This record gives sequence, structure tokens and C-alpha cells, in this order.
Amino acid sequence: MTGTRAPAPDPLAAFDGTVFLKNAVLFTRALRSAGVPTDVRGALDFARALTLVEIGDRTQVHAAGATLFCRRRADLPVYDAVFDQFWRRHVARIAPAPPADDARRETKDESNAAAPGSDAERREERPSGRQGQADPATDGELDDDRAIGDGRVLSPRAFSVAEAFGHREFDRMSGAELRDAERLIDLLRPRLETRLTRRYEHHPHGRRLAPRAMFRRNVATGGDMVDWVWRRRVPRPRSIVVLCDVSGSMERHARLLLRFVQALSRASGVRTESFVFGTRLTRVTHELRGRDPDLAIRRVSETVTDWSGGTRIGESLRTFNLRWARRVLRSSGVVIVVSDGWDRGDPALVGVEVARLQRNCHRLIWLNPLAGGDGYEPLAAGMAAAYPFVDDFLPIHSLASLERLGEVLGGLGLGASGRPPRTGVPHVYRIEAAGSGRRSITAVAPRVFGLPSRAGGAWADPAAARPLVR
Amino acid sequence: MDETRALPAELATIEGLQTAFRARDYVADRGLSTSVFLALALGRPLLLEGEAGVGKTQLAKTLAETLDTRLIRLQCYEGLDVTTAVYEWNYARQMLEIRLLEARGEIERATAHDIFGPQFLLKRPLLQALEATDGNAPVLLIDEIDRADEEFEAYLLEILSDFQVTIPEIGTVKAAVPPRVILTSNRTREVHDALKRRCLYHWIDYPSAAKEIEIVLARVPATPERLAGQVVGFVGRLRSTDLTKVPGVAETLDWAAALLALGARELAPALVDETLGVLLKYEEDVRRVRGATAAGYVDELAAAGV
Repeated sequence: MTGTRAPAPDPLAAFDGTVFLKNAVLFTRALRSAGVPTDVRGALDFARALTLVEIGDRTQVHAAGATLFCRRRADLPVYDAVFDQFWRRHVARIAPAPPADDARRETKDESNAAAPGSDAERREERPSGRQGQADPATDGELDDDRAIGDGRVLSPRAFSVAEAFGHREFDRMSGAELRDAERLIDLLRPRLETRLTRRYEHHPHGRRLAPRAMFRRNVATGGDMVDWVWRRRVPRPRSIVVLCDVSGSMERHARLLLRFVQALSRASGVRTESFVFGTRLTRVTHELRGRDPDLAIRRVSETVTDWSGGTRIGESLRTFNLRWARRVLRSSGVVIVVSDGWDRGDPALVGVEVARLQRNCHRLIWLNPLAGGDGYEPLAAGMAAAYPFVDDFLPIHSLASLERLGEVLGGLGLGASGRPPRTGVPHVYRIEAAGSGRRSITAVAPRVFGLPSRAGGAWADPAAARPLVR
Repeated sequence: MDETRALPAELATIEGLQTAFRARDYVADRGLSTSVFLALALGRPLLLEGEAGVGKTQLAKTLAETLDTRLIRLQCYEGLDVTTAVYEWNYARQMLEIRLLEARGEIERATAHDIFGPQFLLKRPLLQALEATDGNAPVLLIDEIDRADEEFEAYLLEILSDFQVTIPEIGTVKAAVPPRVILTSNRTREVHDALKRRCLYHWIDYPSAAKEIEIVLARVPATPERLAGQVVGFVGRLRSTDLTKVPGVAETLDWAAALLALGARELAPALVDETLGVLLKYEEDVRRVRGATAAGYVDELAAAGV
């Protein structure tokens, strides 16, 4: 049917309901494989919507689909691309179609009639079978099609990761020690500082009365307040935002720190957002989610493209402040920046941005892997600029320092109102130096960060713990 | 799935809706009109997202005027719960009623209905929206849903699915005419996916220069055309500058009104410096733009013949 002109029919006259619905479903599936989540209901709604708008008008159909399928702004460009590809016109076919596919071409011609914006000229239109859901009988044609078109499988990630700085695998260094540390970190369950929200719950220790519940309960006694019901504000852990430097100077620590960040994200009930930065800022919250730490770290290393380049702390923090802070950062949240402060950018910018970051959060914690040794001074220009605006400055060179971080995160054992928070039973973890350069890890029970155990062993004195990485 | 609810004839098409909005000084582009039209026709809520000050709340008000119906507004915040959003019993009055019944000696004959009657029920916005009395579906605006917490979103999802609310003492209240729901969000938090799936979605972007001039002339009618063009050009230039907070359409309108109040007929650098606080709300932004930069922009506009 290349190029033959049928007499100009009204496109809607050749209208077949089933083909119409089929196209709607195929379009939905194309969207789903491109990463825009849709379901059958979406397809049905789309089909219904097409009866309400003018099918001949491409912009109307485009707008109708956009409002039904997209759920966030980031979906819009993906939707646009899939829409163009799905309802696109081929100018000509390069290879003649094998005769066995005549039947399929028949249906395609029918679907031409139902496609939006198609006019009297019959051009070949193809639903994007290459997205992987076409029936196997037409695989030959699919390859053909891929040769013609650009064959890109669209995904939302592809839109954000544009430059190719090059991937970087984590190097496995002193293997056994690294594995020990990793196992330790995996078992961490940090206890986090809580804040009082504006929602109330009934609680015997509350300080306010709950009139509704009291009244309900005392109706039996005729309104005399015999039974008193108290309520208190619900405490919730503060949300955490982690900004982790993964540039060249931090490379050795990045892996373990990301593992620690992953352990933080797994802590229940806490909204943790994770970002990494080097020369640019990348959000890795999605990649770090999930139970398996190894898989999570691997996903991150695939997503981030500027490992071990230079660092631009100021620019990255500025990107965060302008683009992300309003969305992920609450004034009640805790921000943790993990960086050694060596940077190639403008130190004044670092100062300004860190100041702004501090103003927008409840507490700003800076973790510096270089700060573990005695006599460390923040000499690096970026670090010196940021130092005055930091609330808590901690070294992060050893597991013991991670413990101390736990204390800091837990608000030093104090809840938001100054009373000690009620948490699970604190268990104790002991790391003993077992001689010959190796450590044995004795896990006594699942781990909760708490006050360090005084039960002896190398644990009691954090400074005496061996560093994680040489 | 809901049936298509009958709309008045002039609103039964997308163009009709757009024209009706325009007649009430709201300039909606084609995509937005399509989304609103589909939301009305399919009976689904509409979630509007966009930068601050692009007219999300204003759309709901205009829609209520267009449909000639009430606008019920629920402003969301953290900790918003059923008591403030749906209903509450006026228990002080209820207790008084019990005492009165006791005093009158009628307490034995009193029934639950005397205590839990509709006269003691304080109806909050969501319940008001469900109890449309005149057969005309109201417009329910749930503003800044991203500021409410997840418990409220779960409750809202339930209401938006069935349009009914159960009050234990009275029974189930079901909406005879389901309200037309518009939700707005400033994206300070991702709205839960289940709620998003229930709604149609539209992202309202900053308008083009021509459209923004149209908006200014519609909403601040006394503005001279030349000034409107300059105002929009200046704000457009600001939007591409590296600012902490970029001015939205609402700020453009405020600025136009401010300039008009000062009797200006065209932009001058001194005038801009004076009124910059209307446009920019952050001190470092004002400092960055005031003076040479603002003068530079005005010159650029003059050179471009605006």
C-alpha cells in the first residue's frame, strides 16, 4: 500500500471500535515500557476521552493523553516522545514487506484510519511494536523497523543522564576488612532524632485532654467526666537528606559511606533522600532503596557518571538548594554532607550555599573522612568556608566514628522535647581486635545505635578503633 | 466509571470552556482547557501542579464562576485531620443539651438523636462539598495537598473514590451530585501515587510572552499596552536570570498594578528599582538585580523595540 491514494474518505467513517481500543491499549503499553506507569484503566479512560475530543486534532489527543497518563512533570517529555513515535508517519518503507504479513498490514491500514491526525493520504503507520510487546510472528518486521527508525528504547533515566563521563566500578580493596566493615554497616539500625508533629494521638502520657474521645467514652455516665483521655503530639523521626561527595579524593570512602547511607534509608519510618555529587549533583534515592545493599550500590554506580572527577562543592550545593531543597528538605529535617572539602570551585560560593543549607534545615552535619587524625584543621579552602555554618562536624574514617554519628543523629539520646525517647531495647555490639591484624566481629544482637557500651574491649575507646580503610 | 455529567451547552466543548474562562479574565491555554474539560466530562479530580503563582488556585475560582456554583475551599497543612476537614461534633453544646434535658426532667425520654442530631454537627469543607443542596455540583478546591501528611491523603483517597463519608452516629452521607474536585500542589513533596492515579494531571507552566501580556491586559485592564509589553518583557528576562525565586504570573500582575498605581506609563530604571520589592521577595535577588542589571534589562527591552 505504498503511496496509493484512496479517494478522500472521512477518517471517522472507517472507524472501527475494536481497532480503536486496540490502539489505545497498544499506546498504553508503549508508555509503560518507556517508564510511564499506566494500567488498563488508563487505557479505557483514554479511549473514552478520545470519544469526547476531536480525534482528528493531534494536539487535542496529545493533551488528552498527557492529562490522563502523566502523573508528574518528569513524565511529560517521555510521553511526548512516545506519542510522537507511536503516531508518527513513515515517509516510505525501505524494504518490501514479506507476503506473509499481508494480514497484519491490513490491520495496520485500518489502524491508519483510526490514528489521530491521519488524513486522506494513506501512509504506513506503525504502532511502536519495537517496544517489545508485539506478537512474535512479526519479529522479522520489527528488525526491519528498527533499521528504519532510531530504535531507541525510551526510559526516564535516559533523559537525565546525558553526558558520558564514563562509568567507574568500585575497586575492591583490602577485601576481608572491607567485607567485615560492610557486614557491620549492613546490620546498623540507626536510631534517629524525633520531632513532634502536629498530629495528635491518644496516649496516657499526653498533657492535653482529648475532648471528643472523652465525651464519647463518658456518654455512658451521662456526661460526667469519669474517664479522662489524654493525647499527645505524635513523635516522628526527622527526615534525612544525605549529600555524599563521590569525587576522586573521596573515592576510597565512597563505597562504605554509600553503604551507610543505604543502611540509613532502610531504617523504618524515615524519609531519606540521598544525593551524590562530584562535578554535578545526582539524586540516588531511588537506586538506594531496597533491601539488598550490594544491588543498591551497583545501581548507584551505574547511574552516576562523574565518579572520581574533580569536585565542585559550591555548584553542587547550589543546584541542590535551587532545584531540590524546596521539594525534599523540610525545615525540620537533618542534612548530612559527606565530603573532605577539597574542591575546585569557588570557596565563597561554598560558604554561601552551606549557609543557606543550614538556614533551611534543622541540623547540618558534616562528615569529613580526613578529620579523624589528631591535629586536623580545616585548611582546605572549601572546608574552611563551610566550617562556620555547620552544626555538627564529625570524622568518618572508622566504624567507631559511625557509632558516634549514630549518637549525633539520635540527638545525643534526647528527644525533641528534652525527654529521653522510648525506643526498642538497645543491643550491644562488640568489635574486638583479635590479633594478627584481623578483627573478629561479635554480633551480640541486632544493632541499634545507642550510647557506647562500657563493657570493655576496643569498643569502649572510639579513638582506638582501627580505621576502615588504610 | 462515572457517567458524563451534563454540562451547559456552551461548555460542552473545549473551545467553549476556554472562551468561558476568557470571558472571566482567566487566560487558559489549550492543554489546560482540555484537562479541565476531561476532568469535568469523566468525573475525575484534577491535580494541578506548577510553580508558585501561575494561577492554579485562580483556575478553581474561575471554574466555580463559570459553572455558576459554589467554591468550597480546603486549605491543607500538616496535621490536617478528619475533625478539621470533614466534621466535628459540637460537644460543648451537646453537653449543655444533656444538662438541659436533665433539668427539664426529660432525660429518660431522650434518645440518641437528641444528642447526636444534625444541629450539633459542625460541617467542615469536605462534608459541605458532599451535601450539595441545590442539585448543582460545587467545585471543591483542595489547596496545597502536598502540605498535608500521608494519613490525610489516604483518607482523601477514600472520599474521592466513593464520594461518601460515614459518620458513626448518623450514618453514611453520600453525595447526590459528586463535587468537581481540583487539587493543587506546589511539589514540596511527592503526592502519593494512589492519589495521583485517581486524578487527571496537568502541569501549568509559565505562559509565553504574548499570553502573559494578554493576562496582564485582562486582569489589570487599565494598563497601557506599551507598559504591559515592557513589564512582561522584563519579567521574562528575570526568569532566565539565576535567582533564588523566580517571579510568577501573580507577581507580574502585582507589579503591573503597582506601576499603574504610581502613574507610570513606561518603564524607567529608577521606577524599576523602587518597585523591585513587588517582584522579588529575597534580599539577595533584589540586590543582584537592582541598579545596573535592571537598567541593562530596560535598555535591552528598548533596543528590542518593546
